[in-house]
Amino acid sequence: MIKWILIIVLIVVIMLIAYSVSEQIKDKYDFFNNLKLFLNQFKINVSFRQEKINEFLQKNNSKKQFKLFIEEYSNFLKTGELNLEKIKVLDDDDKDILQDIVKNVGKYDAKNEINQMDSFLATVDVKLVKANEDKNKLCPMIIKLSLLFAIGLAILLI
Amino acid sequence: MLKDYLDRDIYNLITKSFSFSDITEIRMRVNENLIVVVKNKKYYLKDEAGEFVKVNSNMIENFVRRASENSIYAFNDNIVNGFITLPKGIRVGLCGNIVTDGDKIVTVKEFQSVNIRIPHVIRNCSLSAFDFLVGDDVKNTLVISPPGSGKTTFIRDFIYQLYCHNISKNVLIADERNEICSVVNGEPNIDLGGFCDIYTNCTKKFAFKNGIRSMRPDIIVTDEIDLDKDLPSIIEAINCGVNVIATIHAKDINQLKKKNNFDKVLDEKYFSRFVVLSSDEGPGTLTNIYDEKLNCIFCR
Repeated sequence: MIKWILIIVLIVVIMLIAYSVSEQIKDKYDFFNNLKLFLNQFKINVSFRQEKINEFLQKNNSKKQFKLFIEEYSNFLKTGELNLEKIKVLDDDDKDILQDIVKNVGKYDAKNEINQMDSFLATVDVKLVKANEDKNKLCPMIIKLSLLFAIGLAILLI
Repeated sequence: MLKDYLDRDIYNLITKSFSFSDITEIRMRVNENLIVVVKNKKYYLKDEAGEFVKVNSNMIENFVRRASENSIYAFNDNIVNGFITLPKGIRVGLCGNIVTDGDKIVTVKEFQSVNIRIPHVIRNCSLSAFDFLVGDDVKNTLVISPPGSGKTTFIRDFIYQLYCHNISKNVLIADERNEICSVVNGEPNIDLGGFCDIYTNCTKKFAFKNGIRSMRPDIIVTDEIDLDKDLPSIIEAINCGVNVIATIHAKDINQLKKKNNFDKVLDEKYFSRFVVLSSDEGPGTLTNIYDEKLNCIFCR
């Protein structure tokens, strides 16, 4: 009886780990999707309403990882220090891009700010395509492989 | 007041050495000593070791970044005109590398110097001139002084005195550079009484034309007129029965006479009072008041 319970627990743990990894991949895609939306909205803001960055950030209602980014961005405006370590889905290259955005947005007049946004959007688009590919390919694969691995392990243990 | 904008070290040094209520200007020029102007006297700021504080480009860049709330694009209309207005009416003059596109100034970059002017509301500073400027009606008045001699402070107080004296005239303020009222986020930072309507950050031409149409002003107040450019709007307002109170840069009445179009102003008697201010005994020292024929009716 205990053996069966252990096998079930093992399968559940393996599947939870697989689920967590695939969620991180999905979160990364969501993060860049939100970033793209954010940059596009900011571009519109610069063209029309011209709200200051702080006011613009306060209106952002993003959830999960992107919310952390918005919080860190607001903190940077107050203290001049940026800490992106909290955002788990980002690798070093992603962090460099975000640092570039945070440290350069708001430095120029409207026309150049829009040009800058276009340049950031092009970079983010590349990241978004990659994140989308990972989400579509890796997530189902991780779940399937983990399930196979769990079943295999269970058979071995039986 | 400037805590959010200046580098913390600089702010602490300034507050340690001076009282903010006495400071009229803080000047930062790249590679030069930081200057604090107190009651018309210039002082070099010293650090803890007694050395003069030297300004570097980072200091200025950080200041402009904070003053523009990290949003140059939102302040660019002002920046191309060489200033940013901070809360409490603090005016920041900016000098730097002007970026142009053809004839149009696009923006200013690589800021080289910053002049932080801290306004002081000096209540009753216009009282000694008040009776000369208000008779049966408020007289069309031109306030004359060199830069930094208290023109804006004078007209601010004059507007407030009208309110205090229960002269319930509608006052339209054409505040092209947002210096008179210092409106931040739609709220004036300076109390000018209860009869004022304010146009900020727009041309005098726009404010005069649209203000007369839509706000039914009895008096229009404006700062730093250019007789070449702004005289038509002033004439139009006066011919519409609106009184005008304006300021202009000139050292004295003789210098004013040399300005283009001043002959026309005199001939047509557009202004019936000319108030001359100086910094002799601090900014806003009332020196002379002249009538429309330039007879001196008040001499200090």
